[in-house]
Amino acid sequence: MSETPIPAQKSRLRAALESDLFYTFTRSPVAVVAAFVVLLMLLASVFAPLIAPTNPFDPASLNLMNGFTAPMAANDFTGDVFLLGTDDQGRDVFSTILYGMRISLFVGVSAVLFAMVLGITLGLLSGYLGGWVETIIMRTADVQLTFPSILVAMLIFGIAKGITPVEYRDQMAIWVLILAIGLSDWVQFARVVRGATLVEKNKEYVEAARLIGRGSGAIMLRHILPNVLSPVLVIATISLALAIIAEATLSFLGVGAPPTQPSLGTLIRIGQGFLFSGEWWILLFPATTLLALALSVNLLGDWLRDALNPRLR
Amino acid sequence: MLAYIIRRMAQSALVLLIVGLVAFAMFHFVGDPIDNMLGQERTADDIERLRKQLGLDRPFVVQYFKFLENAVQGNFGMSYRQGRPVIDILLERAPATLELAAVSGILAIVFGIALGVFTAIKRKGFAANAIMSVSLIGVSLPTFLIGILLIYLFSVELGWLPSFGRGNVVDLGGWSTGFLTTSGLKALILPSITLGLYQMTLIMRLVRSEMLEVLRQDYIRFARARGLRDRNVHFRHALKNTMVPVITVIGLQLGSIIAFAIITETVFQWPGVGLLFINAIQFVDIPVMAAYLMLISVMFVGINLIVDILYFFIDPRLRVDRTGGH
Amino acid sequence: MLRLLRSAACAAALAPAILASTAQAEEFSWAVTTDPQTLDPHAVNTAAVLGFLNNTYEGLVRRNKDMRIEPALATSWEPIGAGEGWRFHLREGVTFQDGSAFTAEDVLFSYQRAASPEADTASWFSPVSDVKIVDEFTVDFLTTSPNPIFPDSIANWMIMDSGWAEANAAERPDKESGNYATLNANGTGAFQVTSREPGLRTVLEPFEGWWGEVEHNITRAEMTPIQNPATALAALLSGDVDMINPVPIQDVARLQDNPDVTVTQGIEARVIMLGFPHQAEALKFSTDTDENPFADARVRQAVAHAINVPAILKTIMRDNAEPVNQLVSAAMRGYSNALGDGPAYDPDAARALLAEAGYPDGFSFGFKCPNNRYLNDEAVCQAITAMLAQAGMTASLDAMPVQNYWPELRAGNYDMFLLGWSPGTFDAEHPIRFLAATPNEAQKLGSWNFGGFSNARVDELLPQIQSEIDEDARQAMLDEVAQILQDEMAYVPLYVQPLIWGTRSNVTLTQRPDNFFILRWVSVN
Repeated sequence: MSETPIPAQKSRLRAALESDLFYTFTRSPVAVVAAFVVLLMLLASVFAPLIAPTNPFDPASLNLMNGFTAPMAANDFTGDVFLLGTDDQGRDVFSTILYGMRISLFVGVSAVLFAMVLGITLGLLSGYLGGWVETIIMRTADVQLTFPSILVAMLIFGIAKGITPVEYRDQMAIWVLILAIGLSDWVQFARVVRGATLVEKNKEYVEAARLIGRGSGAIMLRHILPNVLSPVLVIATISLALAIIAEATLSFLGVGAPPTQPSLGTLIRIGQGFLFSGEWWILLFPATTLLALALSVNLLGDWLRDALNPRLR
Repeated sequence: MLAYIIRRMAQSALVLLIVGLVAFAMFHFVGDPIDNMLGQERTADDIERLRKQLGLDRPFVVQYFKFLENAVQGNFGMSYRQGRPVIDILLERAPATLELAAVSGILAIVFGIALGVFTAIKRKGFAANAIMSVSLIGVSLPTFLIGILLIYLFSVELGWLPSFGRGNVVDLGGWSTGFLTTSGLKALILPSITLGLYQMTLIMRLVRSEMLEVLRQDYIRFARARGLRDRNVHFRHALKNTMVPVITVIGLQLGSIIAFAIITETVFQWPGVGLLFINAIQFVDIPVMAAYLMLISVMFVGINLIVDILYFFIDPRLRVDRTGGH
Repeated sequence: MLRLLRSAACAAALAPAILASTAQAEEFSWAVTTDPQTLDPHAVNTAAVLGFLNNTYEGLVRRNKDMRIEPALATSWEPIGAGEGWRFHLREGVTFQDGSAFTAEDVLFSYQRAASPEADTASWFSPVSDVKIVDEFTVDFLTTSPNPIFPDSIANWMIMDSGWAEANAAERPDKESGNYATLNANGTGAFQVTSREPGLRTVLEPFEGWWGEVEHNITRAEMTPIQNPATALAALLSGDVDMINPVPIQDVARLQDNPDVTVTQGIEARVIMLGFPHQAEALKFSTDTDENPFADARVRQAVAHAINVPAILKTIMRDNAEPVNQLVSAAMRGYSNALGDGPAYDPDAARALLAEAGYPDGFSFGFKCPNNRYLNDEAVCQAITAMLAQAGMTASLDAMPVQNYWPELRAGNYDMFLLGWSPGTFDAEHPIRFLAATPNEAQKLGSWNFGGFSNARVDELLPQIQSEIDEDARQAMLDEVAQILQDEMAYVPLYVQPLIWGTRSNVTLTQRPDNFFILRWVSVN
């Protein structure tokens, strides 16, 4: 295929990033706050080992007698005080949240990236090429959809469990989660991209590009892709929050991150057992953190979508 | 058109076969049903004998073909757990799930589209922005937590609504419905909100996004310039043109409503097929799991087929492409 | 006369109940975590099934509120000769719920049914060589050797009507595909099943023709399985159900402050313990040793020293469980009072024992644990993992649902495991037979002894314990076994699991240590 660069497009994107985007950003207080929260959480996650007062992954450091200490209250037996209290194992809730967020964000971002790349590629291919390529991809999507994401994850978990030695199982659980959530999500991207591609590819500008002899790859990437990005962005936005929540749901069903290496979802699952018993902090703080994270990501995505769409302003 | 549908049907059948095979491979990892069927005082002999009796000593491919052979004749086998035909159990449980899914789906579609259109038209208004933000809180928490919080608030604290189950049901010739009794309707409220909330938000956001996209198209501007009333522009022209991606997503979401019912049914002890499936996993009731997956597969494949056919009617440009081929 | 009056009262109470659910009808509903999978009393030998069926079926003997056996369908029994067997005198004038009379024929039939290979209860009858009908209301059970605890061991063996079973083609239990008796019940008990929707609800109503003294005031009872503990708790708090079992441990304190709800606590028969691979050549999941440290009793003692059981009971169990030094709780017959306390919490002693055994730097291993079998099982295992880590033993914890757990243990995929044991006979002999005896398939010994613990003296004492008639001599042997098991630390006993039931405060009931919920002891005020 002939590769003629289109400088005009590139500079327009860069210009938008340099000026317009930033300008609208500063004009939207919601976006600024959301971005601040997301950034803060990202930093806190990355530097969790430095910030956290304790390492909740180190079983040797735990003292069970510290269990169920209320926030900012001295433990009855040890006299220790914890900012956000402790959970049933005597782990510092603040530390588990920092470490949990780290895992949740890692799982979420990785799973969405994985799903997005896979979904867009397959969606474009099936929408644009049609024929047997489309048949294979979309029928695979059907098979995939037939299994609810929960089941897909359980399947992958079961198989992975069967083939992995126990000493690697805890580390592996995270990758299995990414794979499971990513694989259950790509279909969303693929179906929407395909749907939009079917519409776009019959539009005049694509016909024109084809007439002037552009290759399929170039047409898909340069002409169709930018035009289907709007729905993809909506889905990706929700997907990131969704992935984090999906992980929590999988935990609820017992196939999420292991309790020795808890994500925010695992923490919420553990905490919900204490909803009626008065130890509200075990549920409330991780749940609030998850809510703040997911909400900020969603708000940021909302804003980004409007901002990237110049004619909407 | 007819040829297309026939081709799709054939593909769907293939999908079902593959689903079944994968499902049977999966059962191997779910656990061993034997321990649930025998008590504490069983011996190794008992275990072996029962395993043989159930055919579990054979490779899963053989088990699968035996299942298929029976399934084709409408026989899904006997539940290990309940000792009665799986098909009876599924038929008994299906109305609960379908009623819950229908109410949730209608809630999601009606409120999703209405709020989506509203927030798109009044994009800059305070109400629209408030709706957008509040809706996000609903999808930023896991379904099971929302369910438990709703139970806590409305059942335990306020005592307004039942905490579990379907209430009193009326049997209409094999179809048990909760629509005809007060307690049945009350029991529907919390689970259907829990189940529909996520889908509603998704539909709302998508409709809004697509509406905004369409509203800026030239033909809408022309329509406006021609002096058409806003109402006409919004509903006859704009909304109609947002429907391709929206229908795709609604189709997909209807399927996931049934799938996600697993969690809602678990939290609310809703006696539907989702709860049945979770219990089946817990007790490794392989015939029930197999039949459930097949049932869900048939439903999903059917929904996909309908979505694809709807494409034809909504967007005529697709027809040439699909029937003519390349 | 009394009987007549009672029937009249019952009929009077039933009539309005049929018309409408009025206030005077004492309806009772309760939630269980596991629906009994069958109504067949011989098909599955689990607490969920037998506990429920105790309300509708009856045995020759039954357990009273203190777990002692008392007459039920047999009015008295005595040993035959010098330990050749037991003679049971049957109660006359008893009818099954379908109206047919109870006779010795039904006892023989129920024996044949319950002892058949298709049944899950056959092991109860392994000491029995023959059953003979002496007359219509007398039956002899002949045993191969003297069996002092035989009447105790058949308290959960329930009598089924032979005619009913034959008429409905249910002469044998069918675990695989079920039969009429899977979904229908016809016992002689105080309640009859009037509606059965597996997994959804089961309705019981009083059996008017019951022979016994009625203590309850229930006109209709409904059992609903609710798996999610939070949902069950919410149902109790909102009054949607009258009783739940169990109450999550963490919620006990809060419920005790709630005037609408009563918490009934007791000590269950189930002892929670740790098990080891005694016969394995090497650990399966270790990264730093190719030996099997757990084959050394000192290492097992180190494990016992490393675990702070009081801390687990204080925090995770919230003072609702009792520590234990042997495989049965103090409520069981044959409990060894003579046995001293086990190794106390002492991490330094644990390290010293490890060093002595040749592991001064500890070792790593895999720890298997169920996460939906025992109360707070996963949290307990996590705490144990942390405590062992502090003594130098690095466990990688693998918690899984019970449906994956037993196959994993049977396949030997563990280096250490958590096990709970509730003796079906309420006798200390039971765990010795199942957990401590050298596994022997032919003699049905050691069938849950996954790690293959083997001690010649224990194997020698077990048959003697089983046939010893003299209580003191028997207890002496049980004490000796308990001492051996403690010295060898065959298992590390941790605590006795608590029983915690929650009821609405207008309900009175009796809690039995076997966790059986006996409806005829319930009244709604």
